[in-house]
Amino acid sequence: MDVPYFPINDFGPIMKGLVIGGLGIFHVFLAQFAIGGGLLMCHLQRLAQAGRLPLARRFIDDFFQYLVLISFVMGALTGVGMWFTTIQISPRTIGVMVEEFHWLWATEWTFFCLEIASGYCFYRYGRRLNDRARLTLLATYSAAAWFSLFWINGILSWQLTPGSFMETGRVWDGFFNPSFFPSLIFRTITSMTIASLAACLVVNFVPDFTREERAEIIHKCAAFLAPMAAMPLLGIWYFLSIPADSRSWILGGSVAMTLFFSLGVACSMLIGAYALFGLLRNQLYINGATCLLLLALAFLATAGGEFVREGARKPYTIREYLYSNSLTEDEVEWLRKHGSVTNDPYPLQNRDELPTDQIRLGAKVFRKQCSICHTIDGANGLTHLTATWTTSQLRMNVSQLQRTKPFMPPFAGTPEELEALIQWIQWNNSDRPDDWPPSHDPDVLRDIRKWMDEVGTTPGIHLVHGSETSQP
Amino acid sequence: MNAPFPFGFPWPTAFYLTLYVVTFAIHVAFMHYVIAGSSYLVTVAVRNRPVDPDRRGTLLRDWMPLMLSAAITAGVAPLLFVQILYQKPYYTANLLLFNRWMAILPALIVGFYLLYLLKSPLATRRGMWLRVVITAGAFGCFFFTGWSWTENHLLSLQSNEVWAQHYAEGRTRFWTITLIPRLITWFAAAFPTLAIWLAWQIRLTADDDTENHATVIGRLALTAWIGMAISVIAGIVLLVMDPPEVRQAVLGIAGIPWMLLGIAGVAAQAIGWWQLRGVGRLSRSRLTIISAGCSASILAGAVLRELMRISRLDIAAFYPKHAAAAEVGGLVVFLFFFAVNAVIIGYCIWLVRSADQLAPTDDAPAQDEVHSA
Repeated sequence: MDVPYFPINDFGPIMKGLVIGGLGIFHVFLAQFAIGGGLLMCHLQRLAQAGRLPLARRFIDDFFQYLVLISFVMGALTGVGMWFTTIQISPRTIGVMVEEFHWLWATEWTFFCLEIASGYCFYRYGRRLNDRARLTLLATYSAAAWFSLFWINGILSWQLTPGSFMETGRVWDGFFNPSFFPSLIFRTITSMTIASLAACLVVNFVPDFTREERAEIIHKCAAFLAPMAAMPLLGIWYFLSIPADSRSWILGGSVAMTLFFSLGVACSMLIGAYALFGLLRNQLYINGATCLLLLALAFLATAGGEFVREGARKPYTIREYLYSNSLTEDEVEWLRKHGSVTNDPYPLQNRDELPTDQIRLGAKVFRKQCSICHTIDGANGLTHLTATWTTSQLRMNVSQLQRTKPFMPPFAGTPEELEALIQWIQWNNSDRPDDWPPSHDPDVLRDIRKWMDEVGTTPGIHLVHGSETSQP
Repeated sequence: MNAPFPFGFPWPTAFYLTLYVVTFAIHVAFMHYVIAGSSYLVTVAVRNRPVDPDRRGTLLRDWMPLMLSAAITAGVAPLLFVQILYQKPYYTANLLLFNRWMAILPALIVGFYLLYLLKSPLATRRGMWLRVVITAGAFGCFFFTGWSWTENHLLSLQSNEVWAQHYAEGRTRFWTITLIPRLITWFAAAFPTLAIWLAWQIRLTADDDTENHATVIGRLALTAWIGMAISVIAGIVLLVMDPPEVRQAVLGIAGIPWMLLGIAGVAAQAIGWWQLRGVGRLSRSRLTIISAGCSASILAGAVLRELMRISRLDIAAFYPKHAAAAEVGGLVVFLFFFAVNAVIIGYCIWLVRSADQLAPTDDAPAQDEVHSA
């Protein structure tokens, strides 16, 4: 079996998921600002043409400068950055996604080109164009931006809910997967919300507007917050579309995910309540500081939502195919016989700091199987997680990893590798002494093999929920 | 490789190679504008002349952010296809360079904002040194990006043993002597491309028919000639320094037609600029010939670069991956939207160029004001 090996980088005390998650949240927020911003500009341009908001033209021109400066630069480059960062974190995951969906990604790129071209045309010449041409460019820009979301949403939602793709292998079965539509509509409304709040912020900083003019624009922009009312229903739809085990992590199965989910819900509710009672019902004026606060809440809501979306895939990075440590379900069984690092061509970078060959082997096993989600003693550090466990407890828990925590993948190595990992963890827990006695007790290895065979290579989610209920 | 590129490969490999090379060449056309243009802007800032009679500096300052955006956008497509063609070596090089590689993202963001800052009233009002810092900073960011790409490319061509050693030593830089001629080849080649871009821009934005272009043609021609000469010499040096299999690939049946195309492209540009200098005006027909020559030389350069890469990799090992990728669906959808969106982009450009749409309103600000916002 040809298991690919890549050089794996050490991010120190920072969990790799935090790196990709942090950039992802930032990028998603900016991208959604661009999408919603386009839709909002179209809406305002139409109001201007209908004579219902003549000063909208001036505001659109000002707002578009911000849109270009923020989304065309930071949005575009963080998008490329997402690709590069995913390669750093999990090259195999991005490789599979590119192989399966490259034409859809290429299609998304054509819309990205259109978005940039129409956006720059409006940016450079918008003030000199007549209303019809302005609306045409704005509509083109927003349609292109929204279609970028359309295409990328299908690829990203496929990771969690591949639907019938795993049986048919057909790209459209994967693209129009069970969570595609709820996710798409939810993100569209989120985009409208972010754009509306950003517009309210910008109008406070644009010179030459009187307070009355600002208030008028704010109330028109606030209309874009109204679709938030549909968010609870869409959230429920999305929940029902994802696998039962993923739902269970969010609803209490994993405290971190439950907290992030609650954060997202709470922030969204606060924004929704302010929008409904303050902006839409009582037509309040909203100043820059309040806008900034609401935008910060929107950012936190996005962060919570994205964290939950990423976390809900565990133990997979591509559901039913690739585990979060970039090993496939098929490979686990093979690696239990042949070893997970036997063919790893990359030596350890800190080889000389480790006292014995067994500890070195353990460090390599950690690098290959654990380091994607764990650090040694930083975020989600193994030292913190296992400090109170006895050695036998540690052996059994890692042997039956998917039973210990169902959102963990099964251990994919030989008993010797597992014992080496245990010794490496205990060596770290003991402040890394210069000497460490080797552990090659045949009885211990036999016990490990027995525990591993007991649980097999079935993913934990199937042990908990049964294979049927892992499907939505 | 016993047939002219890309015919010596199985059709899925040839197909993806073609897509990669074509999209890469488009990216290069914009990238050349940015890298050569930003270096020219440094000289403009240092000379600090109060007027810009041939408008090169003004045009560059005005168009640079858009061209950088175009370069980045056009760069996404080859980035996608390279992951299909050479996934393992490409990913490995990315990983081995680690932080050093990822630094191109903040560098590009900083460079991008510096270009906008250069257009702002702040840069105009303040003294020369601020403009020097801004332009040098932007150029530094773009040059660093180009250097990193070259480094990444060269590291991706190394053996498993070199990769393992590189990783074990925890290095995040890769040095080989061929980095220098390779970088010089690309950097110098950017100037003839910039020259033709600027020539078209000056022609298309001329306020009236009486604008005298003789001086600027002379300067652009000199820029193009020097750029081509240095690029060709550095290219030859690179070829001499590279292993024999690389020379065989480039000078063999696969590469010779493209080498000839490249030479023809360079010749067309050299002669075209000579004629243009004689005419003394930016003649459309001659500019078209130079543009065709420039496009041919960029495309030939992209193909030869690919042949140099292929000769150092076991590309046959990737054939099954290419064949599997060619089986997945979505190509028709891509082609459909590629065509539709290309037409819409054309329509958008036509819309803003259309004279009847460009009727200024009473409150329309001057173009400089718009751009400085």
